[in-house]
Amino acid sequence: MAHVDTTHAPPEHEAAAHPPAHEEETTTGINHRKLLMWVFLGSDCLFFGSLIATYMVYRGQSIVGPYPADIIDVPITTVSTFVLLMSSFAMVMAVAAARNGNQKRLVQWLVFTIILGAGFIGFQVYEFNLFRVEGLRYETNLFSSTFFTLTGFHGAHVTLGLFWLVCLTIIAARNPAGRPSGLDVDIAGLYWHFVDIVWIVIFTLLYLIGGFDAGPDAGHAAMQGWQWITGIFT
Amino acid sequence: MSSNPGHEGALPHEEHDAHADAGVGRFFFGRVPEGVHGGLKQYGILAIFLGIITLVEFLIIVPEGLQGSAVVIAPLVILSVIKFFCVVAFFMHLKFEHELLWQIFVAGLVLGLVVAVSLVLLFGVFRPTPRAFSEDRQIHFEHHVEEGHHVEALVVPTPCPVGACLPPAPAGGSGAASSPGEALFVGAAACSSCHTISGVAQGVLGPSLDGIGSASANRIPGYSAEDYIRESILEPDVYAAGTADGLDQDYDGNLMLSTMAGILPALSDEDIDALVEYLLSLQ
Repeated sequence: MAHVDTTHAPPEHEAAAHPPAHEEETTTGINHRKLLMWVFLGSDCLFFGSLIATYMVYRGQSIVGPYPADIIDVPITTVSTFVLLMSSFAMVMAVAAARNGNQKRLVQWLVFTIILGAGFIGFQVYEFNLFRVEGLRYETNLFSSTFFTLTGFHGAHVTLGLFWLVCLTIIAARNPAGRPSGLDVDIAGLYWHFVDIVWIVIFTLLYLIGGFDAGPDAGHAAMQGWQWITGIFT
Repeated sequence: MSSNPGHEGALPHEEHDAHADAGVGRFFFGRVPEGVHGGLKQYGILAIFLGIITLVEFLIIVPEGLQGSAVVIAPLVILSVIKFFCVVAFFMHLKFEHELLWQIFVAGLVLGLVVAVSLVLLFGVFRPTPRAFSEDRQIHFEHHVEEGHHVEALVVPTPCPVGACLPPAPAGGSGAASSPGEALFVGAAACSSCHTISGVAQGVLGPSLDGIGSASANRIPGYSAEDYIRESILEPDVYAAGTADGLDQDYDGNLMLSTMAGILPALSDEDIDALVEYLLSLQ
């Protein structure tokens, strides 16, 4: 071992010249941090899958109001969905800038992403507060507790992502010598986009489809649709 | 980017070209080497496309007739699936990554979907009526209250949140009921979900109403039996029998209030009169 090292190991200064991301050789050819992020995102699908299923199971089971139709504002949430979608666009541009080593553009796109992400959280805070004022608290009915649990955890994900992006922006703005690396930004980007796709599902199920549920009979349409589908096969 | 080091060395031109401009058509639909990236043009087009889909989704549910209708579910789900996979494939760059990453993500996604669908089927669909579900699973038990005195009963499990257990109102009342009050008790008013009357109802959540017609005359001084029963239906929290004499260890005032509050608005004055009359008849 000892000679191998002395004959083949590059001199100290040469090793230091390469950014760490390029040195890493893995059996799969995939960087470990990136692989780990994808594994985490795969498992987060299970987390949100269960929360979404809980909402769907209790859909239309509330016996006291306010019901979704009384309180859900689809137009405003469409705007906030669009804002989050555009933050994903800004994020992917930040990743591209980081890969091209354009530190100035990187900071600009990151700031843009943060502003849009914070805008989304602003919409959510507004919405939650409006619900509270109109008498929909966490413990009011099955709709409110499943709704707040699901969208609250999503909001927490977004907030964590914002914190992450702020850190990256500060590093990028302070230290123009190749940090954060393209990989650092890429991994943060994966998390950020994942939060966006979770919202795509929530927006469709809780707002566009479930947002018009009125009274204890809600979800009936979904049931009819389901029976229509099963009817085809029987 | 450098996940395939041989590539970079062997085909520097192709790699370079792909970086500079993958071409919009090739970027979205073509087969491109691992590690290719888009630029403002590609990602901008995708962002506009996603924005348009969001707008279309919104426009679908603008007509009031379509709000909450079953017709819009399929198109909305399809549109959101398109958005979902566009973000995953291009923004998350999965189209251009090692296939192992696809497999990892899709595995998690499929497992998440299976969990969600199983839960919904388990608790939301395979439950023709909650009442039928309960009655299929009722457990017969015998209970010896005291020497020589023998009680038989059925324990009916409640598989779902209270309130969801309201059975569907029978059209025109049940044929077996001996009075309109009894028909209401086991039918539309759903009293039998929670209360027991021997030979009529087997609910276990609320107090038994056996002999309530005679027992109620002595519950509160100055109240007639009818006053007491009427008040107990309309304002269940004024006086709760279980709390006074400690008969019912599992008494839950909030549960009762919210359940009764869910039922009462559906009952007319005549319904209440019929129920009171029926309960008074239980001696």
